[in-house]
Amino acid sequence: MVRSLSIWLHGTNLSWAARGGLPWLWPLCETLHFIGMAMLIGIVGLLDLRMLGLLKGLPLRPLQRLLPWGVAGFVINLLTGITFYSGDPFQYIDNNVFWLKMGFIALAGVNVLLFYATGLSDRVNQVGAGERVPGAARAVAAASLLLWLGVIYWGRMLPFLGGAF
Amino acid sequence: MDLLRAVEASHFSEWVRESGSIWSYPTIIFLHSVGLAIIVGLSTAIDLRVLGFAPDLPVAPMEKLFPIMWAGFWVNAVSGVFLAAADAPAMMTSWLFLLKMAIIGFALVTMVSLRRELFRPPTSGRVMSGTAKALAVTSLLLWTGAITAGRLTAYLGPSAEIKGVH
Repeated sequence: MVRSLSIWLHGTNLSWAARGGLPWLWPLCETLHFIGMAMLIGIVGLLDLRMLGLLKGLPLRPLQRLLPWGVAGFVINLLTGITFYSGDPFQYIDNNVFWLKMGFIALAGVNVLLFYATGLSDRVNQVGAGERVPGAARAVAAASLLLWLGVIYWGRMLPFLGGAF
Repeated sequence: MDLLRAVEASHFSEWVRESGSIWSYPTIIFLHSVGLAIIVGLSTAIDLRVLGFAPDLPVAPMEKLFPIMWAGFWVNAVSGVFLAAADAPAMMTSWLFLLKMAIIGFALVTMVSLRRELFRPPTSGRVMSGTAKALAVTSLLLWTGAITAGRLTAYLGPSAEIKGVH
């Protein structure tokens, strides 16, 4: 399925543009990928640090109001990432480093799902300035920080361990 | 220029550039990404708060973010010096790299000014001054510029041919 999707993607105009049809598209997407990373890590990481007990003066519900900006960073990176993939799918399709990065993103997604599906987010929302979040929420926060750090690591290792760019 | 070539030819620079060790270029550039995420990401969070997003969020506790942001900065200063030393002649003659350094200088001045503006009494706590808002916008623009200039050093000017930068 991944292979047929990749073959289709390789035939699209997006792939042509990313491969060099529009020479400025690749550097532009790389720049946006770093900006999206900073938005995602900055906002999500700030929430994680607060849940881990740093910056206890910040009440959780108002802090969550910044979350859409972290989600926006993720969407930027999803779209620019699809652009990279479309440009040369076959350097990623059998690439362990690439799939490790995707696996870490999936685990981070599961982590977020657990946070909301278990009602943990509702309990965290009640946590005001100076109060501690439940232990389970601290575990989610620690997992989130480690997983996103792992995503950056595997992404950064693509050229060195994965032989891709 | 002789000095730059000597730096480039040093054992350390050679190790960073050519050893192939996972602990050399790959790990240094990974740390450079993490430091970027810390200082730019947390700056962005503060800037967004100043600009009126998350208006119910108290500003005072956010002062504790500044030491973390400075830690991110120092990670990148050290890793950046290592990366620049590895290709000293190309980097130091790249106008884009020098532009990036200038932009970062301005971004740090903006960061320090915003901290003063936000946390020096008397602060009302909720209503942001026009100065604070202007500094927040400036901060977002400068960090965007620094990231853009940094990325483009891989494509334009004398640093464009350095292997591994992509």
